[in-house]
Amino acid sequence: MIMKFIEGVGEKTLNALFSIYEALKFSFICIVHMLQPQSYNPAMRMVLTKQIYFTAVTVIPTFIMMAVIFGSVIIGVVIALATEYSLQDQIGSIIITFVINEFAPFFTALLISLRSGTAINTEIAVMNVNRELNTLKEYDINIIDYLFLPRIISGIISVVSLSILFALIMLGSGYIFTLFYMNMDFHTYKYLLVSAIEVKDIVVLLLKSIAFGFVTMLIPIYSGLKTAKAYTAIPISVLNGMVKLFIAIFFIEVLSLVLQLI
Amino acid sequence: MLENIALIREVQESLSTSKAQELALQYLKRVRLEKIALLRVSSCSKIEIFYTLLIRALMTKKATIIIVTPFTLMPNLRAINVIIEDIQLLTQDKKIIILDNTTNQTHYKGCSCNITK
Repeated sequence: MIMKFIEGVGEKTLNALFSIYEALKFSFICIVHMLQPQSYNPAMRMVLTKQIYFTAVTVIPTFIMMAVIFGSVIIGVVIALATEYSLQDQIGSIIITFVINEFAPFFTALLISLRSGTAINTEIAVMNVNRELNTLKEYDINIIDYLFLPRIISGIISVVSLSILFALIMLGSGYIFTLFYMNMDFHTYKYLLVSAIEVKDIVVLLLKSIAFGFVTMLIPIYSGLKTAKAYTAIPISVLNGMVKLFIAIFFIEVLSLVLQLI
Repeated sequence: MLENIALIREVQESLSTSKAQELALQYLKRVRLEKIALLRVSSCSKIEIFYTLLIRALMTKKATIIIVTPFTLMPNLRAINVIIEDIQLLTQDKKIIILDNTTNQTHYKGCSCNITK
C-alpha cells in the first residue's frame, strides 16, 4: 500500500519533470530558430503580418474599452485608498509601480491568453489531428519557422505594444481620479509621474511583457502539438494548455515580484 | 488555394510572395482553374482540390510525382485521359506515376500512358 503510493508519487514526479524538460527543450529550439535569419522567409513574414493583425490590431477596440472600464475603476480605487491612508505624496510612485510594473502587462497577458492562446491551441491541435503538420513536413516546410515562430513573435509584439497602450490609458484615467479626489491639475500630475518613473520601471514592463508574450503563444502551441490523434482530444488539449498557461503567467508574475524585492 | 500552392516556392526558394503567387496563378490558368485562386478548401470541388494538390507537388524540386488512386480522390471522374491531358499542360519535365488498383483498370482504357501491371 505505502509502496504503491510512493511509486505513484515517484511516477508522477518523473512525468512532470520530463514534461518540463520537454517544454524547455521546445522553448530553446524555438529561441534558436528565432535567432536564425534564414527562418524569416517570405511565407513566414506573411504569416507573421497576419498574426500581428489578428492578435494585436483586431483586438484594439475591445481592448481600449476594457482598459478604460477596468483600468479606470482599479486606478480609482488605488488613488482613493492612497488618499484615505494619507499617501498623497507617494501617489506618483504608487501609480507608476501599480500600473507599469504590475497591472498593465498582467492584464494584457490574461486578455491575449484568453483570446489568442485558446485559438492557437485549438488551431495547432486541429492541424495535428488532421495530419496537416505531417503534410507540411513532407513538403520540407519547417513547421517551427512557418507555424510557430510567427505566432510566438506576434505574441511578444502584441503583449508589449498592448501593455504600453494599457498603461497609457490607465495613466490617463489616473489623472481624472487625481483631479476628482485631490483637485490636482494636469501639470502637477505629469510632474509626479515623471519624477516617479525610473528606467527600471520601463525595463520591468518590457521584460515582463516579452516573457508573457512568449509563454502566451508557446504553451498553447506546445499543448496543441502534444494532442493525441483524435478529435475528442482537442478540448482536453485546450483545457490542459490553458491551465499550464495560467500557471506560467502567475509564475512569471510572482517571479518578477520576488526579483524586484531582492 | 493560391497561398497554398505559392507556399512551397516561398519556403524552399525564398521566392517573394507576389512572385510565388503569380507563378501559382499561371499554373491554375493552364488547367482553367484561376477562379479557385482566392477560394478556401471548403469552397472547392474534389477535382479542384486534386489539381491544387498536383500543382503544389509540381512546385517542389522532386523529379517524380506519385498519384495514388485518383478515382478515390475524385469519385465523379470517369476516364483518366482528362487528367493526363491536363498533366501534360502543366508539366513536361517531371515523371508522373499513377498507382491504382486493377479494379479501376476500365478507367484507363485508351490511355496514352505506359501501363504496368
